[in-house]
Amino acid sequence: MIPAEVRYVRASSLDEALDALGEPDAKALAGGQSLLPVLKLRIVRPSVLVDIGGLGLAGIETVGDEVRIGALTTWDRLASDAALARPALAALAECAAGVGDLQVRNRGTLGGSLAHADPASDVLAVVLALGARLELRSPEGERSLAASDFVLGPFTTALGERELITSVVVPVPEPGSGSAYVSVEHPASGFALAGAAALVRPGGSSSVALTGVGARASLVPEGGSLDDVEIYGDRFAPEGYRRHVAVVVVRRALERARARAEEDM
Amino acid sequence: MSAIGVARPRLDAPDKVTGATRFAADGHVHGLLHARLVLATEAHALVTGIDGKEALALPGVVAVLAAADLPLETSGNDRTAEPLARDEVVFAGQPVAMVVAQSAAAAEDAVELVSVSYEPLAAVVDVEEAMAPGAALARTVEDEESGGDLESIHAGVDKGSEDEEEPLSGNVLDTITRKEGDAAAALESSDAVAEGTFRTPWVYQAYIEPQVATAWLEPAGTLVVSTATQGSFVTRNELARAYGLPLERIRVVAEPLGGAFGGKFALMEPLVAGAALALRRPVRLALTRAEDFQATNPASAQVTHLRVGALEDGTLTGIEARMIVDRGSNAGWGVEGITSALVVGPYRWQARDIRGYGVQTNRFTFGAYRAPGAPTAAFALESLLDELAQKLDLDPFELRLKNAVVQGDIGISGNPFPTIGAVEVLERLREHPLWGMRDSLPDDEAVGMACGYWPGGNEPAAAVCRVDPDGTLTVVTSAVDMSGVSTGFAAIAAEAFGLSADNVRVVSADTATGPYSGASGGSKVTYTVGKAVLRAAEAARRKLLAAASEELEISPDDLEVVDGEVRAVGAPDRSITVEEIARRTLRFGGRHEPIEGHGGSAQTVGAPSVAAHLSHVRVDRETGEVELLRHVIAQDVGRALNPALVEGQMRGGATQGIGWALYEELAHDEDGRLVTGSFLDYAIPVAEKVPEIDTLIVEVPAPDGPYGAKGIGEAPVVAAPAAIANAVAAAAGVRLYELPMTPPRVWAALRSSAGESA
Repeated sequence: MIPAEVRYVRASSLDEALDALGEPDAKALAGGQSLLPVLKLRIVRPSVLVDIGGLGLAGIETVGDEVRIGALTTWDRLASDAALARPALAALAECAAGVGDLQVRNRGTLGGSLAHADPASDVLAVVLALGARLELRSPEGERSLAASDFVLGPFTTALGERELITSVVVPVPEPGSGSAYVSVEHPASGFALAGAAALVRPGGSSSVALTGVGARASLVPEGGSLDDVEIYGDRFAPEGYRRHVAVVVVRRALERARARAEEDM
Repeated sequence: MSAIGVARPRLDAPDKVTGATRFAADGHVHGLLHARLVLATEAHALVTGIDGKEALALPGVVAVLAAADLPLETSGNDRTAEPLARDEVVFAGQPVAMVVAQSAAAAEDAVELVSVSYEPLAAVVDVEEAMAPGAALARTVEDEESGGDLESIHAGVDKGSEDEEEPLSGNVLDTITRKEGDAAAALESSDAVAEGTFRTPWVYQAYIEPQVATAWLEPAGTLVVSTATQGSFVTRNELARAYGLPLERIRVVAEPLGGAFGGKFALMEPLVAGAALALRRPVRLALTRAEDFQATNPASAQVTHLRVGALEDGTLTGIEARMIVDRGSNAGWGVEGITSALVVGPYRWQARDIRGYGVQTNRFTFGAYRAPGAPTAAFALESLLDELAQKLDLDPFELRLKNAVVQGDIGISGNPFPTIGAVEVLERLREHPLWGMRDSLPDDEAVGMACGYWPGGNEPAAAVCRVDPDGTLTVVTSAVDMSGVSTGFAAIAAEAFGLSADNVRVVSADTATGPYSGASGGSKVTYTVGKAVLRAAEAARRKLLAAASEELEISPDDLEVVDGEVRAVGAPDRSITVEEIARRTLRFGGRHEPIEGHGGSAQTVGAPSVAAHLSHVRVDRETGEVELLRHVIAQDVGRALNPALVEGQMRGGATQGIGWALYEELAHDEDGRLVTGSFLDYAIPVAEKVPEIDTLIVEVPAPDGPYGAKGIGEAPVVAAPAAIANAVAAAAGVRLYELPMTPPRVWAALRSSAGESA
């Protein structure tokens, strides 16, 4: 389908982008892999697309005990970058390698996906389990939010109207950690019917986040049961199935993370 | 060197791969207007008003057309006679109005502004409830029966007998009865009986090119329609019927096709032709994928109640079937005839009692999809045959072989089977190492098998072969190249004439210029048009030899054609090239008739093709996910004119069978609205999901086909879903009776079977 008429601006600086986003119904365009389909289906009708692809926001570097990932880093880069190759951080590359297909992975970005906040977003579970924070920038300045405070509900985030994600910062887990991402996918969309990201630390403690089953991805209380987690059903995957599969993917993610923890020395 | 049996790329492959092909939406037409459809949002309603005022006010919008604006000259409720809903909408997604504008974007903006008012009526969405006397009718405003000749394209099966005893509602448009002997008694005295109710959903053909057609009036009055269609002559007939035009005033040009699988017959053309006639401007309608999902003609959902029996030695005894076909809103025809004929499979039975019902509901107009009615029938039959085999402790192949038909066995329509390779295919498949491995696999893996066939079709056809001054041969037919048939024609003509296939070109003509060809569908083009091409090439060859005979002063009986040269048999230095003869002929003062031949064919017996499958699966019992590890297909193809193309058809059919088995379902909500309207919701088997598919070509020559070849496009899909279902049943330990076998369904079946045995 053909999107409704929209203007297009390619920003050449962060300030220019933030300024352009001040127009009512302006929308930032990163890789377009989430935005363009909803544009074509006319589900969203922005007034102007502010293309932030030229702002140099892509890249991965380890700074001290953190890995800083630029918001416009693509899935393909995430799946293959050496900085993420440790078993402790494997969940991120594992998740990225499974997103969409080759074309989507070459264009889609981490920041774009997080800002879109699809309830079945795989990577949100991963950034939650890894305890990442998001660095945001607006005309008022910079601020930092824990991933768990960033996504508020389906397609709803704490991003202000003139605010962009600039980086996702992942604390480097201690040696002897392992992480994994396991999901059961919807056969058409590839989105998670239930997806679990797990980080296991050397003492045995773990962080687990679940996605695809409710309004947004969320951390599962350690050692807690999933009985208290709100789980939706739909025509394809009824609630009973999702609940059952959620338990399975959590277990499998933890198993795989533990196996990786043993390799991470 | 023979041109037959050589694997070579399709003639159109380079153009298609490099993007040079001009498809139906690509052609440049001066002054072209663009149409977009307003689709019904109600599954069943009376249309009380269509208001296009706001839409017309948008810049670039030329017209908002409703049914009354199209100069239709026929009545009837099929999509040719009623391309836009008249008074009553019968499915959500039905075209109700058409906006025509100077750009597609303007048309799309305008569609949102057309306001249609409806008086909702009860939506009939359950096909079995719809049959009961007193059920609400899916269509309340009827026009006299009129269906065109679209049904006959798809298969050569008869309609069975009439039997009026059963009380049914007016939603049941057709009842087929096929009775022979006393099936109930036969089942009673069987040593094993298996039964079940099998459900299959609406399935989308998912061709890669959404539907498109362009129409315009030539200054002298001819209506020209350039379209992505499977049949130009059939389309011309439909347009003549719709608009009351004489045939010579309509010219249908079939453009290169981006896939069709049965779905591209006369849906777009009545719309654009009507708009072009009404507006006297060229109009193109190119559906978006979203519109194609909603408004075209996918394959029918079906419910099959089946019961089969066998004796201890595996002899099949009786078969009882009630097959309910959800025609949706298709008033013209349904697959109840075909599916009720094919549910007996390629097997002998002692007695049968089969009923097929074509039931209308408030869903899509059903359409044909590769072997229409066959995969659904085979899913039911082959699942139960596996159960019989288990009960009788017989090998599944043994059971099929024991009953497989051979030439001369009487088929369900009372006619003897022609040459048919069921036994050969089964024996060949059984030898594949995968079958031998089935008992040594891990617990969660299994191999399943199934066998099916497609009767093929026949329709008279004609072709022309013409030699050009460069000594090359041009083959002219009106056949639409949907599956690579043109490449087959080149091989046939090359072989029959005596040239290398590299020197043969194949062109598709249109209804104004071409020799007759029926639609591409029904698995008959290679068989029928190919035969015409063979005869045309032979006729051209006779002209060639006559001319060469004069030039060389040698009798034609002593001449042969080898590698583009006519030579004396036994004295090859006395020769003349084809090119030289053509050069001397095709000029002012030339001495010979042009080297051209016309050929025709009219086979009266179809050429059925049997295909059997092995499927190796792994079932994840915790998630219900089915992983396909390997697939094998063996098919009787008559003669593989081009093994590469034949294997492509086999793999393509098997892959679409994978789609039926595990992925594809067009789902509606309780109000009859489509909820799986895009590829984000409707899963198809993409490359990543398809395993290695081994292809075993079996050749049992068709006596009446060109070099023994026959149509093979549909047979490969028929038993693929059943083979996968049988594999899943073996791997999971529980059988599923509904397709697609999605992870939630597999899991639910495992759970309820565990519950039962707990």
